[in-house]
Amino acid sequence: MDVEQASDANLVVAVGRWYEPALAEIYRRHGGAVHALARRILRSDPPAEEVTQEVFLDLWRNPEKFDAQRGTLRSFLLARTHGKSVDVVRAEESRRRREERTTRETATAAYDIDREVWDMAVASQVKDALVALPDELRQPIELAYFGGHTYKEVATLLDEPEGTVKSRIRSGLGRLRVNLIERGIEPAGAEL
Amino acid sequence: MTGAPLTHAEIEELLGVYALDALEPDTAAEVEAHLEDCVRCAVEVGQHHEVAGLLANSGGAAPAGLWDGIAGQLGGTSDQSWDRLAARLDPPGDERDVSAAVRAAAPAAVEGTGPDRGVPAPVVSLDTARRRSRRAGLAAGLVAAAAMVVAVVLGVQVHHLHGQVSAMQSAPQLSAAERAALASPTTRRIPLAGTTAGPGDTPASIVLTAAGTGFVMDDAGDGLAPLPADRTYQLWGVVGSRVISLGLLGPHPGIVPFSVAGSAPVTEFAITDEVAGGVVVSHNHPVAVAVVHV
Repeated sequence: MDVEQASDANLVVAVGRWYEPALAEIYRRHGGAVHALARRILRSDPPAEEVTQEVFLDLWRNPEKFDAQRGTLRSFLLARTHGKSVDVVRAEESRRRREERTTRETATAAYDIDREVWDMAVASQVKDALVALPDELRQPIELAYFGGHTYKEVATLLDEPEGTVKSRIRSGLGRLRVNLIERGIEPAGAEL
Repeated sequence: MTGAPLTHAEIEELLGVYALDALEPDTAAEVEAHLEDCVRCAVEVGQHHEVAGLLANSGGAAPAGLWDGIAGQLGGTSDQSWDRLAARLDPPGDERDVSAAVRAAAPAAVEGTGPDRGVPAPVVSLDTARRRSRRAGLAAGLVAAAAMVVAVVLGVQVHHLHGQVSAMQSAPQLSAAERAALASPTTRRIPLAGTTAGPGDTPASIVLTAAGTGFVMDDAGDGLAPLPADRTYQLWGVVGSRVISLGLLGPHPGIVPFSVAGSAPVTEFAITDEVAGGVVVSHNHPVAVAVVHV
């Protein structure tokens, strides 16, 4: 198997056969993104590295959890990364540290997309799509996704009703998807 | 979570925060359970994940040192020792040659764009039926159902193939190594039984060499009905407690090689009709099955 030429989906299939080079190739392709997201949420290298390792070891153990018909491998890995990172953030000690530095500026902090997005053109489009969102839709997404907050915590931070925040996150993600499509970026995933 | 279960409408409102892991664990579990049975909601969550993934997307190089830590833990995480797996993935001597020859003989039908001959043994650990989450339960159930169908097929005989080797060996699409493998006296033919055809009908055969090279034989071309170009037959094998993909057969199988070299014995085979490119987990009922009697 020529792993460098194989699609992500086929690499996962090969991982199911415990083919280590396939996992190594997946790591080469997506390890940077996984680590960067974990690092961004956890704000510290040791736990970010731990999460990164867990994400790839989980894929090694349970490759069947990835369903190529539901989305890309990268989004799958990033979703797992996010979930694990948030778990760490919400652990008692991390929560204490986080609360010390949590301020509303988290929600309004400038997006350093250019530094983080793998393709500058895509980064620009993603940034534009995000900026095009009204603040009331963008802020809850940022706080929940990058801040690791529950929507109830976000509601407290923004001093908004929980139901409002819940709805804004959903509609914000939907609007962001439309914004991305309008800018020529077609997020993967099945259509409704 | 206390109180009445959430309604569909209430869960829909939670899909965004669920996708961002912004729900409390108990509520998230309730949403997770709902997603098992509600395709529409599952699709929406998938879309949210894709959007979030773009926000998080970073192409920075993967930290090299981290891979060593990951690789160092692989051996202890699988169900089998790494030594066994390494042997299975990199068979020595002649087996390697045959495997390589089969690989070389099988152009990339991986994405459903190649010719009919499949890629040997893209395999997934289908502990699936046992280890998938409830969300994946539908697929797992179908795989389990497929395995069950395989298991109830009785009386499928394993034949020696001496009488048929000559005809198979002359098939122009076979490489020299494949022909040599077929010539072995230990090569066996295992008839596949159609799950929709009448009793006694044999849609195709599995030919299994002692070296671990196998062939799906539908050389008469009338066993497995031709599929549209956007579909493919996919071969599955039961190895121990796992159902594994053994390769894509294409829409018009003919004679297709696959490899189980180094693997634990495959005890049952099944063929399913899938979308071109194949699937990691089958959601479909097999069209043909066979049990290998050791």
